[in-house]
Amino acid sequence: MSEVMGLKAKLGLNVFKEDKEFHIRIKPGREKDERLKKAVIVCPSGLYSANDAGDVEISVDGCLECGTCLIACGEEVLEWHYPSGGAGVQFRFG
Amino acid sequence: MEKFDVIIVGGGLAGLSAAYTLAQEGLETLVLERGDYSGAKNVTGGRMYVNPIRDLFPDLWKKAPFERFIAREEVSIMAEERSVTMQYDGNELAQEPYQSFSLLRGKFDKWFAREAERKGAMLVSKARVDDVIMEDGKVVGVRADGDELRADVVIACDGVLSFIAEKAGLRKPLASKNYAVGCKEIIEMDRQLLEDRFNLQGDEGMARLYMGDVTGGSFGGGFLYTNKESLSLGIVVGIDALLENEEAFKAPELLDRFKQRPEIASLIKGGQTAEYSAHVIPEGGVKAMGSLYGSGILVAGDAAGFSMNIGVTVRGMEYAMASGYYAAQAVMAAKARNDFSGASLAEYKKLLDKSFVMEDFNNFKESLDVLDHSRFFTFYPELAGSIMRDLYAVPAGAKDRIFPTIKKHMTVGEIFGIARDMWRLRKI
Amino acid sequence: MDIVVAMKQVPDLQQLRIRNREPVMADVPLTFGKIDKNALEAAVLLKEEHGGEVVVVAAGSEELEDTIKEAMAAGGDRSIMLADDKAGDLDSAESAEILAQLIKQVDDCGLIIFGEGSGDNYSGQVGSRVAEKLDLPQVGSVTQIIIDGEKLRLTRSLEDSVEIVEVMMPAVVIVTADLNEPRIPSVSQVLKAGRKPKEIISLDELEQPAAEKTLTTLSNLAPEVNRKRITIKSVEELVEILKTEGFVGGN
Repeated sequence: MSEVMGLKAKLGLNVFKEDKEFHIRIKPGREKDERLKKAVIVCPSGLYSANDAGDVEISVDGCLECGTCLIACGEEVLEWHYPSGGAGVQFRFG
Repeated sequence: MEKFDVIIVGGGLAGLSAAYTLAQEGLETLVLERGDYSGAKNVTGGRMYVNPIRDLFPDLWKKAPFERFIAREEVSIMAEERSVTMQYDGNELAQEPYQSFSLLRGKFDKWFAREAERKGAMLVSKARVDDVIMEDGKVVGVRADGDELRADVVIACDGVLSFIAEKAGLRKPLASKNYAVGCKEIIEMDRQLLEDRFNLQGDEGMARLYMGDVTGGSFGGGFLYTNKESLSLGIVVGIDALLENEEAFKAPELLDRFKQRPEIASLIKGGQTAEYSAHVIPEGGVKAMGSLYGSGILVAGDAAGFSMNIGVTVRGMEYAMASGYYAAQAVMAAKARNDFSGASLAEYKKLLDKSFVMEDFNNFKESLDVLDHSRFFTFYPELAGSIMRDLYAVPAGAKDRIFPTIKKHMTVGEIFGIARDMWRLRKI
Repeated sequence: MDIVVAMKQVPDLQQLRIRNREPVMADVPLTFGKIDKNALEAAVLLKEEHGGEVVVVAAGSEELEDTIKEAMAAGGDRSIMLADDKAGDLDSAESAEILAQLIKQVDDCGLIIFGEGSGDNYSGQVGSRVAEKLDLPQVGSVTQIIIDGEKLRLTRSLEDSVEIVEVMMPAVVIVTADLNEPRIPSVSQVLKAGRKPKEIISLDELEQPAAEKTLTTLSNLAPEVNRKRITIKSVEELVEILKTEGFVGGN
């Protein structure tokens, strides 16, 4: 298997249903918090990235709702709840 | 206002086991599941051990939509450039009743939900529970999308993060050292190709665990299970271990790196990835567990921390189903007494203590500390690989004698190191 | 006066996978088409203003009995359905014949709302066919419905104009997706849904047999996509590639 499937393509195989709002947010004023950098490493969907200014940003599209970022970074820097009922990832195989 | 005997938050294995048991005895049971259907939010490595829970659900197994029974167990120890694999076949694995099965939760939980409904449980999916309703320190119901729903007992089966247990004040703060993350792909493969490649007949399946250089030398491992027409392939790595890793591999990179190992690449060739999933796994054992019960509330499954990794076996689903079952028993006893106080529901803990669940967790309470030790993930795999390399090498000149070949890898210091590790291992 | 909504049970298209260009139907959950949900919402809003009952009519496989709860939770008051595993794959003519017979069972029917196309085939024929069979006036492309005494005042949004028409009830109204945002039912509404009155018949119980199938689907394949799989690292590179491919103006 020479070709590695990109993360975006892999996530594209999953079913995601739209939510009315973002279910994970970086708490205002915490964008530069060192703890957020952990999310860049641990997030299985690679949704966190640090921009040039050193702020960590998140894009929740493709979130698997696994909880790894919450556990790694903590509730002080992340506002984290599950998507609304029927929204978010819906595993077909699991 | 709707009032139930029991409201179960989360329609996964723990929740459905409780619902199935309670509804069977005629209790008004409501299960609230936030996914489109049961199984939509659930991730597993892919194998359930049935023996410990067979008798708790006697009628369930015959029609259960398992993938394959595991007739062959394998373990691969991976060094950086080589690996050593051990294979265990045994008549005991290939005879009914089978010890374990591979499964896909999307199918299994959906089916189990229908079985629970058939027993009379009410199931509402696409329903997220936002909070518990507390009155005088007692849980009396839940809030879901603005609706207030009441019950004598709420059972929190809402998974490893259990916001419900947290809101009821029962969960310990989430400490990263007690959790691992698993990333997994479902790789679809033509059934014939799969059976030929893994040498399987009919519904036989195989399970292989990978240790060593799977997770960049961090605490963790890999797994491969054969399903009917797909493979479950993934890695599990401690969250702290991932953060402390010197090479700073990101979680998804570890899985790709694992897939690119020649030993794996040749096994999945010709297959097509059909789904990518990930989830946090509780691994802290007894020490990380919060309270399992409170006034009007019980906690079961991953929400209670019932999952265990002892290296060669990684288990969670049996504990989820058993804890759901015992939670149901405790509720029924409490109903007979018409007393849903914490003291009355404490029966749940007593039932668990007497069962294999807490016995396992007490027996293996040191396993995380013992195994979370880099020698198991780098030193031993390299040692095993190097010894095999030297034993099998036929050089251009004369071959070394076998004893000195092995002795070369075992300095006095190493032998003491191994003895120390063995001494640690006696705790599990 | 009751309001009838015709709805079609379809596979949840978001859950559908394509394998070897063919849809994988196994294990795909069933639901109602998106525009059908708009039609239902329109009916429920009218009922909330004018009273009466919202009657959902549908025809499909036996799983419909379960799927219909979704419509009952979202505001339907009762249902009349043909649930028969032999009716899992009806063409437009068959559907129209069956639905017309089901609708006849509603005594005080003021208007019958259809979505302009089903969630799966989107043939866009059934509403018109039913109007014809019931000999009722029909209005399509409707984005607003106002009940005014015995009449309906309907807004039709067309490409370049907005037309307002008036029609006597009973009438068939065919709505588009943008007339409302369907509600998400609460847990207690879902719980009540299962207890709402329903009438279920099978194909054999129809007064007149459904029309013969006139249409046969020969194949249903996803279009072949030839992706070029080009990875780019900068905007300049992207522009360069688009130029070579002829997508942006060269000189």
